[in-house]
Amino acid sequence: MSTDKPTATPSHKSASLSLDTWAVIAALVLALAVRFDILKNVSW
Amino acid sequence: MAATTALLPVRSENRLLNALSIVPGIVLLAGIGYAAKVLERSVNGYAKAHHWTFPNIEYVLWAILIGLVISNTLSIPKIFQSGIATYEFWLKLGIVLLGARFVLADVLKLGGISLALVVIEITLSLLLMTFLGRLFKLKPKLISLLAIGSAVCGVSAIIAAKGAIDADDEDSSFAIAAILALGALALFTFPAIAHSLRMNDVSYGLWAGLGVDNTAEATAAGALYSDAAGKVAVLAKTARNAMIGFVVLAYAIYWAGQGQAQTVTNKAAFLWKKFPKFILGFLLISLLVSFHMFSKGQVTSLGNLSKWAFLLTFAGVGLRTNFRDMSKQGLRPFIVGALGEILIACLTLGLVVGANRIWGL
Repeated sequence: MSTDKPTATPSHKSASLSLDTWAVIAALVLALAVRFDILKNVSW
Repeated sequence: MAATTALLPVRSENRLLNALSIVPGIVLLAGIGYAAKVLERSVNGYAKAHHWTFPNIEYVLWAILIGLVISNTLSIPKIFQSGIATYEFWLKLGIVLLGARFVLADVLKLGGISLALVVIEITLSLLLMTFLGRLFKLKPKLISLLAIGSAVCGVSAIIAAKGAIDADDEDSSFAIAAILALGALALFTFPAIAHSLRMNDVSYGLWAGLGVDNTAEATAAGALYSDAAGKVAVLAKTARNAMIGFVVLAYAIYWAGQGQAQTVTNKAAFLWKKFPKFILGFLLISLLVSFHMFSKGQVTSLGNLSKWAFLLTFAGVGLRTNFRDMSKQGLRPFIVGALGEILIACLTLGLVVGANRIWGL
């Protein structure tokens, strides 16, 4: 299936990031959201 | 060019479908996690109100138990599978965010002690598992996988080593099943032993981080004892995970020398490839907190976000533990794993008790 062949588009490259990298990116986004009070007083 | 641009909407649609396919499983993880929190509050509240002598069962145990009951009594529909597999993402996210609860000085002090103990633990575990594997006449590459899995960090280490030493799929699934089954047992035995020995939070956290193989189970085993022990268990386990590249590299060089694996040409690139990058995220968040980039309330928020991420992880630990599947993997690797794990648990307990005497943990 030709549609499954990867192309050298930047969006394809971002999809191949490792789980570790995604976890770090997600954590940094959350940290920024907390730092700039977009996420406030997260309760447990 | 025109053909490539015509394919892009199809690819975007596939990506969207892939992204949506994880939603049911994540909702299930969140549902179990939330039910665990509600059960913790209501059962403990009910017992207190009626003056019952009832053990304080924390959300960690409830989440694992609900997951275990579901995975071992029901057949989980396929629609949930890919979402359940995200538990590893939540684990790593939780660990990176947990960096907010450590100032760098703590990381350096406890991490330094952990690293020293980790080096001893890895050496002893590798020797012990190799000896037991040979004694029980397991296949040489299965011995290597069991040794790496029990010495470093469970499933990730086995997967990392599988490619590097050209092990076959059957050996890898044997080793993974043994490590997971023993990790599930450790969840219940480690806290019970520590309670009977009246270990303090730091000593127990170090022991769980050194003695329990898989990161998710080590995190859960620590949190089952106390919040503080959970923090230390994650730090010790992270120090252990950091060694993964060195151990896998040593085995890759050994098997290449035997002509049974590809030669490692660029060792630095190999080490970087195998290094768990989430550790850098953990250190970065810890560094930002140490330089007062967050207020006290914000640090609490980050700590709580980490707990929510771990909650989904604990539900996933229960859901992916299927004792029926594990029992199909054969008895001998399991016996070697079990014997090795019991001895490693005793050795690491001795190490922690010794460290407690020397450094006063």
